[in-house]
Amino acid sequence: MALDRRRINGPEESSPPVFDSDEAAPGWRPGDARKKRAPADIRPIFLQPGLISQANGSAYIETEKTKIACAVYGPRQSKNTSYSEMGRLNVEVKFTPFSCTRRRAPMRDAEDRSIAVAIHQALVASVRLELLPKSTIDIFITIIESDGLDGCVAAGSVAASTALADAGIELFGLVTSCAASVVGNDVWLDPTEEEAQFASGTLVLSCLPALRKITSVWQTGQMKVADALRCMEACQERCTETHSVVAQALLENAKI
Amino acid sequence: MSDAALKASIFQRLHPRAYLERFIAENFRPDGRPFDTWRDVSVNVGSISTADGSALVRLGETTIVCGVKAEISEPELDTPEEGFLVPNIDLPALCSPRFKPGPPGDEAQVLSDRLNEVLSSTISLSSLVIHPSKAVWVIYIDATCINYDGNVFDAALIAMVAALRNTMLPKATYNVETGQTSCTRTIAIPLQILKTPVSMTFGVFDATLLADPTAFEEPLLDTTISIVVDQKDDLVSVTQLGPGVDVSGTESTLSTCISAAKARRGYLAEQIP
Repeated sequence: MALDRRRINGPEESSPPVFDSDEAAPGWRPGDARKKRAPADIRPIFLQPGLISQANGSAYIETEKTKIACAVYGPRQSKNTSYSEMGRLNVEVKFTPFSCTRRRAPMRDAEDRSIAVAIHQALVASVRLELLPKSTIDIFITIIESDGLDGCVAAGSVAASTALADAGIELFGLVTSCAASVVGNDVWLDPTEEEAQFASGTLVLSCLPALRKITSVWQTGQMKVADALRCMEACQERCTETHSVVAQALLENAKI
Repeated sequence: MSDAALKASIFQRLHPRAYLERFIAENFRPDGRPFDTWRDVSVNVGSISTADGSALVRLGETTIVCGVKAEISEPELDTPEEGFLVPNIDLPALCSPRFKPGPPGDEAQVLSDRLNEVLSSTISLSSLVIHPSKAVWVIYIDATCINYDGNVFDAALIAMVAALRNTMLPKATYNVETGQTSCTRTIAIPLQILKTPVSMTFGVFDATLLADPTAFEEPLLDTTISIVVDQKDDLVSVTQLGPGVDVSGTESTLSTCISAAKARRGYLAEQIP
């Protein structure tokens, strides 16, 4: 591997500490009920718009361990691109090196790109890009701590939509998002990283609750059609609740 | 926004220098501070569970998150009894419109290098040895700027030192027969910190000394001076970027800064848990 001269480098190779195996916590077995939460419960959401003073709009979201900061810059002039009638929505996701159990070396890996695409899909239908020719809206997301990738996509979409509203960009509505996993015969909403490992399949639903429309469904793993529908229904219900959390947060921020 | 406030903000954008000059003439700065006053500091440690140690620092609006990750590696051949300390700072496009996405820019590279120099004296690398010439700890200290409102160096140094002081390493044992290192979850040991350096940065604008410059003031400064002192008030590092200027009075600017930094050190060190 070539030496990266733009960073302070450590040794060429290092590995995370290995723990004595007998101390590992017992995992989930088929038939076990969900610990800590009821299957249809999501983690409590803390949402604060406007924390990043340098940005046009911003939001910070925390759902227990998951911590994500999001900033919106723009609409600003598109550079190095040909003329376009529609505005562009650019989403970039970055994990901090300490955000996961295993250290993420600061080279761009495929994971943050796929999350960026999923969040872009969730948002793009909600933004009135036809009003912004020749412009770009940049959405930068930094994942400070991650507890489940699907949870990151959901929380990242909610934060990004809040930040877009905070930036005063015209939207059709606020996007909210929720993840669901099929574990055994149950549907567990908003799975943590540990829970997602037991799941046969996971689905993230993003919607515009005010218009009763869906903007994106992102499903991975195996799932029966009936289970997928069950997941979507359960997610939609929670999305409506999240919508009032987002609206409340924006309202309180506007009053100050 | 009221009409007058809008006019002021347009003037600030178009003529930043004249805008700042008018505040300085009234003995105040645009955010309402006198010249020698610092912004509020808050430090929060241990909130990131995926890191071995972490800190969140706010210096006014400037926000830095720092996380420490410990990994195990073989030491270098010429230094078999030394571990590694690897500090890096990231200024992502998120924190300010000045930065673009991609690899670290000039400013981030310079900051990482300065932080590396200051931090190299905080921990004795020999305390990171698990087994000489076989296994040592690598301490990765990664700071990320969430909001860039000036004086990132001071804030990042506080964050890195606070995160290091918050770090607990699992007890590691090297098995000579298998060549493997294994750790136990039950015993955790804090890092041995030798020094607690804190930095105080000043800017010189038109022969006026401004403590703790903001992102608006920074590009207008002629000279930037950073003083790093440790817990015994000994100087660790002095950096001056730009020409030496004599601010009013007989003392030289540099010694004024050093005495101001020493006066503030006690308060700042108290904020680091």
